[in-house]
Amino acid sequence: MTRSILAGLTEFALTALVIGLVILAVLVPLALSQPDPLEVLRLFVLGPFGTIRHMGNILEAATPTMMTGLAATIIFRAGMFNLGVEGSFFLGGLAAAATAVLLPLTGFVATPAAILVGALVGSLACIVPGYLRVRFGASEMVNSLVLNFAFLFAGVYVLNYVLRDPNAGALMSYKLPGDFTLDRLLQGTRLHTGVIIAFVACLLGGIWLYGTRSGLNVRIVGSSPGFASHLGLASSKLLMQAQIAGGLIAGMAGAIEVLGLYSRFSWTGLPGHGWTGITVAILARENPFLVIPAALFLAYLQVGGDMLARNLDVPSEIVGLVTAAIMLAVTAAAIFRHPAFLRLIRDIKGQEQGA
Amino acid sequence: MSNSPHLAEGPIVSFRGVSKTYPNGTVALTDASFDIRRGSIHAICGENGAGKSTLMKILFGLESPSAGQVLIDGAAVDTATPDFAGKHGIGMVHQHFSLVPILTVTENIILGHEPRRSIFIDRSKARRQVVELTQRFDLAVDPDARTDTLSVAAQQKVEILKALSRDTRLLILDEPTAVLSPPEIEELFNRLRDLCAAGMTILFISHKLHEVRALAETVTVLRAGRVVGTTPLAEVDDTTITRMVMGRDVDVPRRQRQRTDAPVVLELDRVSTRSRDPADRIEDISLSIRADEIVGIAGVDGSGQRGLVGVLSGLMHPASGSVRLADADMSRAAAPDWRKAGLAYLPADRYARGGTAALSLADNAIAGTDGDKALQWGPFLRRGAIRKRVQQMIADYAVRAGGTGERLDSLSGGNAQKLIAARELAGSPKLLIADQPTRGVDVAAAALLHGRIDLAARDGAAVLLITADLDELLRLADRVLVLFNGKIVADLQNHAGLTPAALGPYMLGLETAA
Amino acid sequence: MIEFFGAIADPAVFATVLRVMTPLLLAALGVLISDRAGVLNIGMEGIMLSGALIGVLVSAATANPFLGLFAALIGGGLLGALMAFFINGLGTQFIITGIALNMAALAATTLGLFLATGDKGMSGALKSGVLPNLDIPLLGGVPILGPLLSGHHMLTYLAILAVPAVAIMLARTPFGLHIRAVGSDPKAAAAAGISRNRVQLYTLTLSGVFGGAAGAYLSMGYVSWFAQNMTAGRGFIALAAEVMGMGTAWGTFAAAAVLGIAETVAITMQTKGLPSELMQMIPYIVPAVMLTVYAARRQAKARKIS
Repeated sequence: MTRSILAGLTEFALTALVIGLVILAVLVPLALSQPDPLEVLRLFVLGPFGTIRHMGNILEAATPTMMTGLAATIIFRAGMFNLGVEGSFFLGGLAAAATAVLLPLTGFVATPAAILVGALVGSLACIVPGYLRVRFGASEMVNSLVLNFAFLFAGVYVLNYVLRDPNAGALMSYKLPGDFTLDRLLQGTRLHTGVIIAFVACLLGGIWLYGTRSGLNVRIVGSSPGFASHLGLASSKLLMQAQIAGGLIAGMAGAIEVLGLYSRFSWTGLPGHGWTGITVAILARENPFLVIPAALFLAYLQVGGDMLARNLDVPSEIVGLVTAAIMLAVTAAAIFRHPAFLRLIRDIKGQEQGA
Repeated sequence: MSNSPHLAEGPIVSFRGVSKTYPNGTVALTDASFDIRRGSIHAICGENGAGKSTLMKILFGLESPSAGQVLIDGAAVDTATPDFAGKHGIGMVHQHFSLVPILTVTENIILGHEPRRSIFIDRSKARRQVVELTQRFDLAVDPDARTDTLSVAAQQKVEILKALSRDTRLLILDEPTAVLSPPEIEELFNRLRDLCAAGMTILFISHKLHEVRALAETVTVLRAGRVVGTTPLAEVDDTTITRMVMGRDVDVPRRQRQRTDAPVVLELDRVSTRSRDPADRIEDISLSIRADEIVGIAGVDGSGQRGLVGVLSGLMHPASGSVRLADADMSRAAAPDWRKAGLAYLPADRYARGGTAALSLADNAIAGTDGDKALQWGPFLRRGAIRKRVQQMIADYAVRAGGTGERLDSLSGGNAQKLIAARELAGSPKLLIADQPTRGVDVAAAALLHGRIDLAARDGAAVLLITADLDELLRLADRVLVLFNGKIVADLQNHAGLTPAALGPYMLGLETAA
Repeated sequence: MIEFFGAIADPAVFATVLRVMTPLLLAALGVLISDRAGVLNIGMEGIMLSGALIGVLVSAATANPFLGLFAALIGGGLLGALMAFFINGLGTQFIITGIALNMAALAATTLGLFLATGDKGMSGALKSGVLPNLDIPLLGGVPILGPLLSGHHMLTYLAILAVPAVAIMLARTPFGLHIRAVGSDPKAAAAAGISRNRVQLYTLTLSGVFGGAAGAYLSMGYVSWFAQNMTAGRGFIALAAEVMGMGTAWGTFAAAAVLGIAETVAITMQTKGLPSELMQMIPYIVPAVMLTVYAARRQAKARKIS
């Protein structure tokens, strides 16, 4: 038992090392271009922990990506490369705003109702490509990629012709009524109760995937379809369950983001939290419990980047580069499936070498 | 070199003490030595895993020997060099064709050595070359047809033409008849004889003794990675060759059956399947298995075993005939129905069909136990109970593992297989299909698995044991059926006198006794 | 219907269709080449974006738009080669590699723009060049056809000429044969001595060159500046166009034309105050429908056989 924990730590250490090297590789040349290179590194690495407000920023930035990361995790675990999470996030935000603007709800039912509608409508962007794959065998990857944009323009249409406030200067919705907001958690930050929902969702997602029968069956279908069919599992049904669950979570994430942070809905492009969620899921090795630290880590990088942008003349986009490089590094088979590394892990576990 | 001076005398290829040990420790070939005479048809015979394909990979330049030498025209050569086969005029017809389905016949044949005109393929020249090849070797195919629209026999012709397209003087054919019908086989043999008469050397790999005898002059028999002998076919009779292929007649201890009058559990009545793939095709199979009976299916791989398993697990449905399990009609039953009716399945293919590599031992051990109240509380899994159950399984089946949370593929093959057996045999199954259950498994684990299969039968299971390992077959089976080309060609009671050599003629398609 | 064809024959509308279609066609042909070798280039969006910025920066620095175009082609090609290195050299998955490239390109172009101009949104401050329109000497004088066919952007002509070039390359050259073999059955190709890794390196590089050209067109033809995320999903439409084209150059051309017309109609509707968003959905819904119908037919056929 201790040996397998040790082996797990070794893998974690290698991942951390790779990520550290990637960050340094991007950051060091940048730092050297500045008058005070050490200040760049200090701000980026330690800055996010400097004040409560900055730490609040990390949690705030991690809230949507925890949920989209969880959604992507569930979908990937079922063996599908459905990239509809981005579309679901957008639709969820839109639908929640539409509920707030159009429905005369008040009191404590208002916010939950808007989130529920957001989740339901948002889930469409994951369900449609998933269904087309399960029913007709059409590539869920390509379909989700293009349909994300179809849903975007459908949403922009609704924004422009249904929700638009003609008195506002730009293309944005009417103000969301005060009953449709998430409460502030911490004065001086924009942190709202959504972060709690995100934490709870990841924990529940982990419990579902690892602690329930249907979660187990989804993982079996996703990792070995042939075994699943010999077991007589209802593969199509399980695959759809995972797409629906993922879509609902991603839609809910969008709803929470809009209700928690904005007074009007004004997205006219895909916000990108779905893509980040995919990175989070990959970084978390498709484990819902690890989605929490993975999302927090990426959010920490984001806040570090923002601090560079604010205090020095360094654009925060540097973080996008770091994130992309991390995504490639942690999935590189050449590193994590390297024979030498696998041998090391086996030696640590001290297992027999059989046929 | 195709234009190198022909040594009129002397073998075209000589193997001198060739051995091959793979990095994972598997010994595929030990000290193999024999010659292939120029201009002859030379057959290589042996069971699955005897080392035939390794030998061919070495000769075709895909692998290099760990020890020993390969001589071509009397000179030692390094086989694993780029384009080795092309340089020495060696062509190979693979058992699984290496044709690109979306390309035309001509494109497939010229692929890799296209005739060019400036930057373009010289298509008229290419077509001319192919037409010329088809005429020269009397292998008629439409050079413009898309390859995936052709029949299997026509695709094989393309494969042969491709192998002959580069000044080939040694042609290797790996189990070329497996996918052909009898008249197609006859036509293929005629073409091969013509080629031989024109000076080609042909190396013919086969399981089927009558084909070897019909075609070849000399045969080399391999068994367990060693050359048993090389002999002109005129000088040996079938019995001798069969004995060479099958090995010594050492008797094995046999299973003792408790009851012979137990009720029939599984009954197949004239079951056939339709499929393009011979491995999925069975024809007119009737068999019945009683409780406490182990019926062994012998036969070379691809004789219809996969079709039989498909029908008996609900993944395929018979095109005709009926299947009954414990008096219920299962002809149209789907996979979940079979599981519910008490099917257990122990396949060699541990990660694609028996389990899932990426999940933990615990996940694998409880897969498919949906609704088991001891392991489940509503939709939730009882972690404590599961851990206890899995630890019990690990102890019962002597699985060597770090913990229940380990990934299945972190175990050795034998230990992974033991864990899967523990799961499958847990609920006293009515029918157990053991499909090459100990392939790739160490000796100790195999012995344990044999014991458990025997035990399952004693507990009342009907057992269908599909195996290429004749030792295993004779140890366990009460009755032996031999499958050949999707048909049962022999139905024999297993008794002390039954030896691998006695099964040989049926497996090699020489005799029928059913 | 008649009105529709009349509108298309209107030189101004026809020119708009070509203008809109050019980057799609270039990018889709790029996607086609690598897809035929077995790698769907999800990173096309990022390659286009990079090509657009490189073109602007180099043309501003050298005061020569052709050098800008050349640099965009080289840059795109290098990014394609980089993808091949990651996929076949380091063993990353092609989908993840593409997503990562898109992410990195969005960040890197914004960063590059900022470093060059001090502005993160637009390159308006830079004096970057524009690639010329070509008047075809004789054709220009012909009535009706002349104004229709002459005077378009040089990359538009190049994109249209690239269609037969790619078609012939795939069908008639040894390289094209190797591409088709590797994409259809890498094992069989290997048996014939053709290296998948090498072919995919070449095709992804070529795919990147096409993406670079598409990007250069956006920033040095369609408009004359670079703006953050100016591709706005065109790389994904190109992906869709290639899928609609069923793996052929002419099919891809037809798909790009259909999508170009749809976008032109959307633009026209927008200027007339009609809901353009619904038209903008078309380029994304049509490929999904076609892909699904195609898959469903294949499935039905497979079922019939067994």
